[in-house]
Amino acid sequence: MRLALRSERPAWLLASAAFVVLVVVNGLLQPGFFGGSVVQSNLTTFLPLVLVAIGQTYVVLGGDIDLSVGAIAALVNVVTVTTMAAVGDGPAAIAAGFAAGLGSALVCGLVNGLLIGRLRLQPMVTTFGTAIIFSAVALWILPQAGLEVPEAYWSTYGGIILGVPTVLVILALAVAFVVFLARRPFQSWLMAVGGNRSGAFQSGLGLDRIRISAFVLSAAFAGIAALCLTGETATGDPLLGQSLGMGSISAVALGGTLLSGGVGGAIGSIFGGLLLGMIGNVIFFAGLPYEYQTLVQGLIVLAALAGGVVVARR
Amino acid sequence: MTSAIEARDVTKKFGQVQALSNGRLTVGRGEIHALLGANGCGKSTLSKIIAGTHAATSGTVLIDGKSVAFSSPHEAEQAGVALFYQELSLIPQMSVEANIFMGREPRTPAGFIDRARMRADTETLIGLFGEAIGSGLRPEVRVSDLAPNQRQIVEILKVYAKSPRIVIMDEATAALDGRQVGVFFDILRAKRDAGISTVFISHRLDEVFAICDRITVMRNGETVAEVATADVTQEDVVRLMIGDIRRAEKRLGQSDPGRDPILEIAHVGGGRLRDVSLAIAPGEIVGLGGLQGQGQSALLRGLFGIHQLRGGSLRLDGQDVRIRRPSHAVSRGLAYVSGDRVADSVLPGRSIFENLVAAVLVRERRFLVRVGSLVPRLTEVAASLKTKYSRLSDAIGTLSGGNQQKVFIARWLATNPKVLLLDDPTKGIDLGAKADLFALIRELADKGVAILLYSSEESELLDNCDRIAVFNGGSVVTELTGPTLDSFHLTRAAFGDA
Repeated sequence: MRLALRSERPAWLLASAAFVVLVVVNGLLQPGFFGGSVVQSNLTTFLPLVLVAIGQTYVVLGGDIDLSVGAIAALVNVVTVTTMAAVGDGPAAIAAGFAAGLGSALVCGLVNGLLIGRLRLQPMVTTFGTAIIFSAVALWILPQAGLEVPEAYWSTYGGIILGVPTVLVILALAVAFVVFLARRPFQSWLMAVGGNRSGAFQSGLGLDRIRISAFVLSAAFAGIAALCLTGETATGDPLLGQSLGMGSISAVALGGTLLSGGVGGAIGSIFGGLLLGMIGNVIFFAGLPYEYQTLVQGLIVLAALAGGVVVARR
Repeated sequence: MTSAIEARDVTKKFGQVQALSNGRLTVGRGEIHALLGANGCGKSTLSKIIAGTHAATSGTVLIDGKSVAFSSPHEAEQAGVALFYQELSLIPQMSVEANIFMGREPRTPAGFIDRARMRADTETLIGLFGEAIGSGLRPEVRVSDLAPNQRQIVEILKVYAKSPRIVIMDEATAALDGRQVGVFFDILRAKRDAGISTVFISHRLDEVFAICDRITVMRNGETVAEVATADVTQEDVVRLMIGDIRRAEKRLGQSDPGRDPILEIAHVGGGRLRDVSLAIAPGEIVGLGGLQGQGQSALLRGLFGIHQLRGGSLRLDGQDVRIRRPSHAVSRGLAYVSGDRVADSVLPGRSIFENLVAAVLVRERRFLVRVGSLVPRLTEVAASLKTKYSRLSDAIGTLSGGNQQKVFIARWLATNPKVLLLDDPTKGIDLGAKADLFALIRELADKGVAILLYSSEESELLDNCDRIAVFNGGSVVTELTGPTLDSFHLTRAAFGDA
């Protein structure tokens, strides 16, 4: 399957190979790892990062970066939860909550996109700044963690649809979207913008719109990730998802997408996100003393990144 | 009949710099029209205004008789105007086909990219160049894997993929070899017969006279003449372009076989090179001749430690040396100036001073840089170059290509090099600046610097060198001196019939 208009071997090959290795190691360490319930619970843990990483990929492909995804997720969480609490119980509340949450995500993405695509501000500093603002808004809406969501929401999210765990359905839909987008001209425009910005302009591409679209996509995925997190925690938390920003960027890099832009794809980021989650898992089940776990996790992430770079240089 | 392009009184200011003060261009339908002028005369700026990349500060542009003011290349494309970009608009990490159809991808009814059609259309376009395109240019290959001439062909194909009615070819032949230029001209003629107008910008006057119907000449941001090619000679055009600059006198032979060589190269190989031996004495200018890409650049870059030379030996000042890195070369008194300024020389966005001082800092390994003590030294060097600049603190980008190249040579002068390696230093530089550069190079030789010069232009070697080592297939096939130092012998040796 060719996911991008390029002739080389896919960038996600390495991340997927590392993923397979970790699955094997994890399978040895964790009893019942391949059992349905463990797969489901692991996937529930990994899914938000994977989704955010998919969105982040599009921003990075266009040569930008989005540090605000964690803050967007927190904002979407509190907006969703507050809306649901205000509307009441039942499907109407869930629908209203989703709409309000995703709507606010799109607004955040548009703000980022307009500041960076139209006003040409530096993406890293800009999204660092907007992240603080989005967090502030989230705190203003819901100063303390709390509130509940309708039972139908979290029980569906934690449950099974047509014999398949809901989380797996969401992942499958995300993959389908990634494949869909990879075959649309948009993704090659994005890669052109990230690969050679003046060349893309000279080719007649509308840089503003393309970059804005990438930030909106990234925010939308952060929003969906927030809805997943909310389904998992069933509560509102203005400090949710703080590790998603750097986590998603690491996942994108692990997945073979160049942070300088123009090369890569979201399939790799999916593997990258799963990989990061699995590393945490492996360390936990390897029985390392608690105080060393973070250190070892950092070393493994670094080794994986360095390995990717070394292989890519050949 | 209305003209395809009619531009009148076009001006353009970039900040305080007046790039164009009175641009005028009239191109008829189905005409190949040359737009000529020295570097920095405003011809690229005028082209970019016509093609929507820049907006004019004032003036009128009529396309097919209709007044236009394109705000983006996309709008110009819609009106049938396509520009070939000198500084390549290709996306290196993407495939040939993706580049050619960038922004205009054929789609399936479902809105996906129609890869089959894109592939077929790309193959048709590649077919235009036929055999001359060389091996390895296929639709799915990444542009970064192509040779420079093939990239240029892709850029040309990309222009024609837009089915334009008006084409501006800005230095489109610069990287092409002779056969490719021939094929390209056939394409241009076929397009002319189909009613397509071409604006042809080139530094090669032979090409202009071979293909163009009429000529517009610009100088210092102004259109100074519009003539029919049949009515003028090349000399007339050169005079129009530069006003008063004459071609430099041929350098008198300075070769003195008695002098001890400062640099002796014996039997080196590596990369393209095979068993190259050469000796240069102080004050000598030795040319590296032959067809392009026969190992001339490889030798210069190898001597400077950019690539590794293999086997053989190097003697500098009578001592055996090994040069593994450019820093070794610098500390031994070698200096290297590349024609590829963007890739090899320029510190973009930095001041002229910083660009000048780069080599001094490497050579002298200063712990702290005291700008005050360096400025007088460098000002003196810069002054000796006749470089036009207002302040040393101006950004390097404010200088034209020719003046930038002088700065990059001056960068090394401040280190008092013993051997100067010049790797096609005049690439893309206008005639006026070229004359200054060679005057400078000769002056250096007179002061005892040994100079190894590679140039893709035969006349530069013949006019300036004491000897020419002719390369073919990575080795020196012959050395031309004295009576054999002429165009006839050089061409014969280059084509392997020495």
